[in-house]
Parts: sequence; structure tokens; C-alpha cells
Amino acid sequence: MKYFYLLFMCLLKNSVCLDYDGWLNIKLEHNINCKNENFCSRGNISLKSIKAGSAVIDQISFTKSHIDELKEHADIDGLYSIRSLVTSADSKETEFLSSVKAKLFLENRLSDVISAWILPNGDVIALTFQVNSYSSHNHSLQYDQAEYPLHSNFYIRHVDQAPVPDTASYIQKLEREREAREKGDLKDNRSFLAKYWMYIVPIAIFVMISGITNPEPAPQASR
Amino acid sequence: MGVLSHTFKPNFLGLLKFINNMNWFIVFFSLINLSMCIYEDQIGKFDWRQTYVGRIKFAQFDTVSTAKRIIVATEENVLAALNLKTGQVVWRHVFESASSGNIQLLHVGEKITTVTGSNPYLVRGWDSASGVLMWEWTLALQNDQQAVYSEWWVQNNKLVHLLPVIGSHLEVTMYNLLTGSNRGATSKLPAVWNNDGCVLTAPYYTCVSGNMGSQILLSLDVTSNVIQIISKPLSNFINLKESIGGNLRPLDNSVVPGFIVDDKKVLLIKENSFEAVGKELVDEMASATVIDGGNEQVLLQTWQDDEKGFQLTAYSISTNSEVTEIQCSDPTTSIPEAEFLAVMCSRKAKEQYACRLLVNAADDALHLMQQGGRSLWTREEALANVVTAEFVDLPVSDTEAAIESEFDQKEAAKVYSSVWSAFSRRLHTQYTQLQNLIRNLQGQSAPEDSTNALVRDYFNLHKIMVLITEAGKIFGMDNLSGEIIWRRYEPGLDTEAVVVYTRRSARHPPYDAYVTIVGKNEETGNGYVISLNPITGNLVGEQTLKLDVRILQCTLLHEPDSEKLHALVLLDEDETVQVFPISAAPLVENLYMYVAEKETGKVQGYALKYNGVSVEAQRTWSVQLGGPGPAQIVAVATRSRLERVRSPGRALADRSVLYKYSNPNLVLFVVEKPDPTHKEVVTAVVLDAVTGALLGASSHRRARALPLAVHADNCFAYLYRSEKHRRLEIATMELYEGQERWLEPGVAFSSFASDRAPAVERQAYILPATAAAAAFTITERSLADRHVLLGLTTGAVIEIPWAYLEARRGLTGGDEALLPYTPELPLPSEASLNYNRTVERVRGVLTAPAGLESTSLVLVTGLDLFYTRVAPSKTFDLLKDDFDYYLITIVLGALIVATYSTKYFASRKMLKLAWK
Repeated sequence: MKYFYLLFMCLLKNSVCLDYDGWLNIKLEHNINCKNENFCSRGNISLKSIKAGSAVIDQISFTKSHIDELKEHADIDGLYSIRSLVTSADSKETEFLSSVKAKLFLENRLSDVISAWILPNGDVIALTFQVNSYSSHNHSLQYDQAEYPLHSNFYIRHVDQAPVPDTASYIQKLEREREAREKGDLKDNRSFLAKYWMYIVPIAIFVMISGITNPEPAPQASR
Repeated sequence: MGVLSHTFKPNFLGLLKFINNMNWFIVFFSLINLSMCIYEDQIGKFDWRQTYVGRIKFAQFDTVSTAKRIIVATEENVLAALNLKTGQVVWRHVFESASSGNIQLLHVGEKITTVTGSNPYLVRGWDSASGVLMWEWTLALQNDQQAVYSEWWVQNNKLVHLLPVIGSHLEVTMYNLLTGSNRGATSKLPAVWNNDGCVLTAPYYTCVSGNMGSQILLSLDVTSNVIQIISKPLSNFINLKESIGGNLRPLDNSVVPGFIVDDKKVLLIKENSFEAVGKELVDEMASATVIDGGNEQVLLQTWQDDEKGFQLTAYSISTNSEVTEIQCSDPTTSIPEAEFLAVMCSRKAKEQYACRLLVNAADDALHLMQQGGRSLWTREEALANVVTAEFVDLPVSDTEAAIESEFDQKEAAKVYSSVWSAFSRRLHTQYTQLQNLIRNLQGQSAPEDSTNALVRDYFNLHKIMVLITEAGKIFGMDNLSGEIIWRRYEPGLDTEAVVVYTRRSARHPPYDAYVTIVGKNEETGNGYVISLNPITGNLVGEQTLKLDVRILQCTLLHEPDSEKLHALVLLDEDETVQVFPISAAPLVENLYMYVAEKETGKVQGYALKYNGVSVEAQRTWSVQLGGPGPAQIVAVATRSRLERVRSPGRALADRSVLYKYSNPNLVLFVVEKPDPTHKEVVTAVVLDAVTGALLGASSHRRARALPLAVHADNCFAYLYRSEKHRRLEIATMELYEGQERWLEPGVAFSSFASDRAPAVERQAYILPATAAAAAFTITERSLADRHVLLGLTTGAVIEIPWAYLEARRGLTGGDEALLPYTPELPLPSEASLNYNRTVERVRGVLTAPAGLESTSLVLVTGLDLFYTRVAPSKTFDLLKDDFDYYLITIVLGALIVATYSTKYFASRKMLKLAWK
């Protein structure tokens, strides 16, 4: 069995919102090519630090029998389910379940996107698998090798702090406006036309219309 | 032309004036117009309010004051006076809904006395005519744990408080009713025979004590100065061999202290001895009371017989004979578990009894009857606790149905094979239409019976509301008049998490409308499904269905079957699927469900599929919204089944389009979870219910979640209490795809085929009020603006335009379509939908679209019911209410006359000119 290593650096602009850091271990299991059980091992994802977000993904490669079973699922428009067991430094195992359409998974050359949603206190609330939006409509995708590596992208998504009603800056804004009004430095340096167009246009229209409606009295028709 | 320009002039002046004052902001504000208020003459034109008091706990006739009234105290902690003749509320006081508002005693004497609360108690006196508070004093008991067993009554202008201590003694305290001062201390009466089966029939406290087979009936007047116990062996009154013995039940509001032994024998206490009444209880469940009818005492009994219906019997104790003129047996009325609340009888000139019987029922209805069982009025107090409601369309009239079937392509192809038959059919319909028209013109429209009158109007504003109440009573109510059309009592229905589905609207003649109510069985908690016709209230289809499993989740199938009926899909606790009707099972395809565990925060998704034999559910996803620790899902918001998406995006100031993320499968969960550093943390999560993918989330520290969340299209809003700032805040979220569209226009959205996360815009606002209910307005095609309706604890229902709550509000960049950010939401009093008609204890706001695009129908439930209609974008498709039809007709007529007369005069002038 060959191991596929994928190192993904997840750079997050607001990873500072996390008030906790620790390791995370995710055990992945799937529902294909398992002899008697419902789920069997697919791989493992481990993180040394949630804050850094760099993950080591260690997964099996699919063999012919995996592909055949996936194709069976795909034929009946079935689902490929992944069960994940998340363990962190201070909590016991939490189970998550996620499914993708087997057909789409095959069409996307066995690549998927794994996202783990993490609360500010470091708790994982969801682990979801999604397949890339299907760019290839290539149904005749050939699977004729002996082994097929899985392409997984792992992302850590943080539950952000929600905004709070911002009263301080609003009051500051009002203060600023008031000061500006007191100083009277709201100088209007627009052109004359830009400033008073709303007065000029109606007058112009008015003049035009009264010009049309009172034409020169037509000369009396001579008989 | 000169004349024309003259008429134009005032308009131009107006325009000038307008432009003078114009400022772009003002223009914008006028567009989203905030003046949702109505004119004075429009009060009650589109709206109505019905006031209720709740299930009656105590009631007494006010015999002292001249105005005839019934004073009632209710389970909803309401004290009210009802008009004796009409049953309408004269005045009403709504106390706290918590235990501090519980009414323990109602006594109507010269003034009304109430005892409310639960240690400390509040003793209040009210003026019976006006309901004004006269006096008030508090009473705190030392023994807090025993206080729940307290008994209260009023005797000789003294408030008597009895506290039985089981197996030991009785504590009796008397207080001055007006001041609360008690002369001397509490008297402790030794009573070792005191047990928990004792009853109080003031002032006697009665118990059955002793060993099995040799029980003794003991009774004690607790207010007398001398302790005098009346004791008799129980075997004197009942045969102890036949029954277990010792079950006591006091008579309901009797004039003489008395009680019922073993639901059979009626005993009265007279002159310090027991006196058995010569007649036993007819039915075990019967409610009995003794009244003072002139110079004799009459025992009244009432019960509900399964076959004979409502029963009322009267028996004169002194003459040992039946009083036939009071008696009644009515198979047509049904008063389940009838109970006497108050009875008043007088006898005029020896002959005739004149009685007023106030009867309470298990379905919370209050009936006032007179002798002979004739009902004077009925109050449906179940409506004080409406759990949910559904607006149902009315069927079209017969003629319109005929036209519809004529132009229905499929129908027409079936019935009319040839052109000639179609032509004759057309002629026939037109003939009937003509007949109708003539009949209408003659004003001889045939007297239609009430069900026939229930036909759809042109704008589909007239509907039937199916209301489900906590008592298990279901009502069909006309939305325009508020009149109850039908009522149905389901005793076994637990409506805690009830759902109503319109499975077939009345749009498909010859099929009737079909509504299904999915609830729980009160005793077992198993599924309980009721199917009925919402127009008539009759059971249809599956009728009442008592399942033998609990239901996890239920939904309707998207596709109707051949009878246009949407199948009901139930997922039960064994994760098996039931489809009603079973014939629709092959239609189950691409159906997904989610189940949220309220207490743990776990949400699971299921995919349902038909495998050729049956429908099976496969668990496809599961998430733990609170993480591994304890958490609680406080609110869940899904889109309304009536909601549509109007446009894929919104135009920005730079003429580009910001595309909305319009996923129809979104669900908002609001989760509250304890946190070691921030006390409570509220997390709002937006999930795709098909794949279980999280699309957006945000968390609030030091906040408490409220069960108020709404969702429509790409907008989400939820309320929470900020513990840090001690105020209510409303947070909004909007999901956007961005400047580019992800899918080609017209391509159906699939949750499975997308791995992109939408951009989440978030904002929070301060709500300067406390809300108890929230809803979005819904219009037919969602073209009109979307407003948020908030039911406040003050009793007002406020309409807030979404423009105020928009999550993008406050973004800098000079977007003119956005209001500048203000942290506090304005709640102008004009925005109150119910102007001065306060709705007490708002519990829910329900909205439904009308046939008019501009209009949304609103029902506010709570202690009161309030119905109105709102126009979020103003009534752009409707003429004004005070539109002057006469003036415009006269002007048009005058113009036509003027045209022809000037033509005539012109031709005459021409003729004259020609002659010159």
C-alpha cells in the first residue's frame, strides 16, 4: 500500500480569533470495500496546531475493487459516505458523517474537499466532504490502473466572532459631523451648474413650453 | 393649446417646489416609505382583534352590582369581567405569566378579592364595575416548602388561610381582608388523621382516615372557636365491600359544603352532621353542585354521555323529586368533561326556575346556559393558546370551476373530442354566466347557505385559517370576519410540536382541499395524524391515524400524485419511513430530511429513496453543532414553503450585479452552549440540509439565545440577548456568490455539486424592545419588498423593512442603495401594525400571501388574536381605499357629452360659415 502525502497550508486571515490551540486527529472511514462492517478505514488527518492549520493527510489508495464498488453505487445514483472520528487534546471522540454522490466523486478523479469547522474554543462542530464542482463532464473517464491515489484538500474553517452593534464609532461619526457643521468647513466647490441644476432645468423647460404654447399669432388668412 | 399649458402650470409649480426641497436621501427614504400607519377611518377595515382570557379557573356571578357580569379568573393568569348577556370582555387584567401571577383565589363580594402569586402572595381588591385596583397587601409565609398546599377562602370579611401539614396538624390564619392585619397568631389544630386525600369544602376540612375496611369519615370546621370534629364510619354511607372507599371529591362551587364519596354518594354537611342526599351520582365523571333555588336546595349534575350527548339533571333535596324544567338531554351538543363553574338560580312566584349555569369544558370552551340546557353564549377560550395556523385557499365558485375545467388542456382533450361539442359547451357556459349576471343585476342572488358563500374572491384575500390550539381543539376561521366556521375537538392530541400541511389546495376540482395535522398522542407520545377538509372541518382520507411509534420528522412530497395530493412522508424513531398514501411511495425521489436533537445539538441528515418495494432512509450526514460538550439548539429557521426567489442578484451602485447565493435547502440553527470564559456562547450556523455542509457561522460571546429566528431567500435574522450590554440585539446574515454567477442562468441548483463557500455578510443591530415573535412577510411572487414583523412584549406588532436590517448596511463605498449604518433600530409608533389594539402575550406571527402581489396576510396569536394585512411595497396594484369612483365616472361621462355636443356645435358653426 502506498501512502499519499499531501501537505496543505491553510492561511487564515483571522486565525487570531481562536483563543485556544491544540492538536487534532481525524480518523477517516468510508463505506466501500468493507467486508462485513459498515465502515472501514480510509486514512488519517493530523494537525499539530489548529492555529497554524497545517495538516498531514495520510490516506489509502483506491484499488480496482474500490472503484468497482464506487461504480456500483454510481449506477444507482448512490452515495459515498465518510465517517470521521475527531479527537482533540481535551475532548473525547466525536463522530461526524458526510456523504457525496458516488458518481460525482468518480467524475472528479477521486478528489474531494474536506472542511473542518472549528469554534473559537477549539471544538470541532462539523466535518464535511464536498466534491469539486464538476468541471469535467467526462463520463468515459477511464480507470484502468492498479491503484488510484485520493486527492484531498483539507481546510480549517473558523466560526468567526459576529459583529456587535457598533455604537462607539457611530457616536464618533455624529461628533465629527457636528464639529464639521460648527466649523462650517463643508465647502462646496462644485461648479455653478452642478450646484443649481435643479433650479435651472425646470425654468428652462418652463420657458420652452410656454414658448411653444404661445406661438406668434398666425397672420389672418386673407380671402 | 393655451388652455392646455394653463392646466399644466400648477403641476410644474409643484414639481419646482418638490425639486427645491429635494435631497437624494429624502427621495430614497420616500421610496422605502415608513409610514405604514393607517388613517382613522380605516380602523377595523382590514383588521380585527378578538380578546380571550384563557381556560377559566374560577368564576362567580357578580350579584352585588347592578351591571350583570361574570367575574372570571383563568389559568392564563387573567382576571376579567364578562358581560352576562353577550359573553364579551368588559374589563381585563393580565397578570404575570410566571408563577407570581397565578391566581389562587377569586372571591366576589362587594369588591372582588384575588390572591395571586406563590409565596409571597399578593392580596388585592378590585372594583367590580370598573376593574380598578382598590387595595393591595402582601403576605409572605414562613414555611416556604409547605406553602404550595395552601388553601384560601373568604369568610365574614376575613381572608382565611389554611395550611395542612400532613399527619400532624392544620394551621389556620385569619387576616383582615382590607388591611392584612391578623388578630392574634396562627391557630394550630391538631389533626393526625390529615392525609393527602383530604378535601376542603369551606369551612369544613374533610378526610377519610383509618384502616382499610373500617375507615372513618372526619370533618372539622376549621374556623369555629370550638374544635368540633364530626366523625362517622364510612360504612354508614357506602358499601365498603364493593369499593376501595375513601376517594373524596368536593362539589363544584356549591352553596352548601358537601362532597362526593367514591364518585357515587353525595354528602352534605348540615348543622354539624353529615347528610346523605337521596340520589346518587348518575355518572362517575359527572360534575355536581348544590344550588339554592328559592326555598329548596337542588342538586345539579352534568356529564357527557357517549351516546346521549350532553346531560343535565336536577334533583330537589328537600322534596326528593326531580326538577324537570331544569333538566336537559341534548344529543347534538357536546361538552366534554363538563364542569360547573358557577350556578345561579332564582324562583319567581314559586313556579318557574330561572337559572344561569356557567359550564367549563375540557376543550377550554365556556358555556353559559339557562334552565333546560339552552345555550346563551359560548366562548372558545382554547383560542387563547393557538400553537400554529395555516391559511388555506377557498375553492372557486361552480361557474368558475366549469370555465377552468373547460380551458384545462388535458381535461378538454378527454371530454371534448370534436370542435362542435367544445363550441356547444362554450355557449352553455356563456349562457350560465349571462344568467348569473342578470340575477346579480336584479339583486336576486339566491340565498346561499354558509358553505356555498365560501368561494374564492378575485384577489384571493378571503381564506380559511386552520388554527391548532394547545387544548387539542382545531378551528376553521374565516380570515375576513374572524368568525369560527367549524370546530373539532381531538382529546388525545398533544400539540407541543404540531405541524400543519396543506396537502391539496382547493384549486383542483373535483377534489376537495386536504389539510393534515401531525402531532403527538398525549398519553404515549406516538404519532397522531389528523386529515381533514379545511373548508368544512370533516375528516377525509386517512382520517385520524394513531401510529404506534414516535415520529422523528415529517415532510410533504414535492410532487403530487394523480389525485393532486401531496403525499405525507414520516420518518419514525426506528428510522423507517411511512408514506401516506402508500400508493405515492414510488414518487419518493431526491428527498432529504434532517433531524435536530434539541438537547444535545446533534443534527443528522437522511436521504430517502424508493427501492422498488418500500421507501428507505439512509443516514447521510451528521454534525455536532455544539461541539463535543453540552449544547442546546434554541431556534431553527427554515424557509417557508410558500416562499419564492424573485431575482438572482441585486444591482450595485457601479451598475454591476452582486449575485445572491440562493440555495433552497438552507437551514439556520441557533445554538447556545456554556463556555468557561464567556459564560454562554451563542453560535448561529447556516447548514445545507441536503449535504450537511456548513455555509456560514458566527458566534456571540456572553449572550443568551432566543427562540426567534427567520430565514427567507438568502437572508437570515435571529435575536439574542447580549449579557454584556444587557440588551436585545438582532443579528442578520446574507449569503452572496459574488460579482460572478456560479451557475449558468436557468441551471438547477444542486447541493451535491458545489463545494464553493458563499461570502457571508453579517451585521448586528440593537433592538430597543423585547420581542416575543418574529416572521417575514410573504407575497405571492416575492416581488414586493420583504419586511420583518416583530411581536413585542408590549403588545405591539412592529413592521421593519429589511433595508434597515440588511447585513450589507454600513459598508463604506458610497452605495446609494444602502442606508448608512445606525446601531439602533428605529421603532416608530407608526410602524406598529395594530395601532392601539394591544395584543397581550404575543406568541406567534404567521404570514401568508394573498392573490395580490403587494399584499401579505398576517395573523398574530397570543392571548388575543389579531388579523390584518400588510403591503410591504405599498399597494401598487390596488386602487386607493378612498378612490372616488363616482367622480371619475361623472368626469368621464361629462367629457363624452362635451365631445359630442362640441362636435354638433362645430358642425353648425361650419354650416353657418359656409353660408356666409
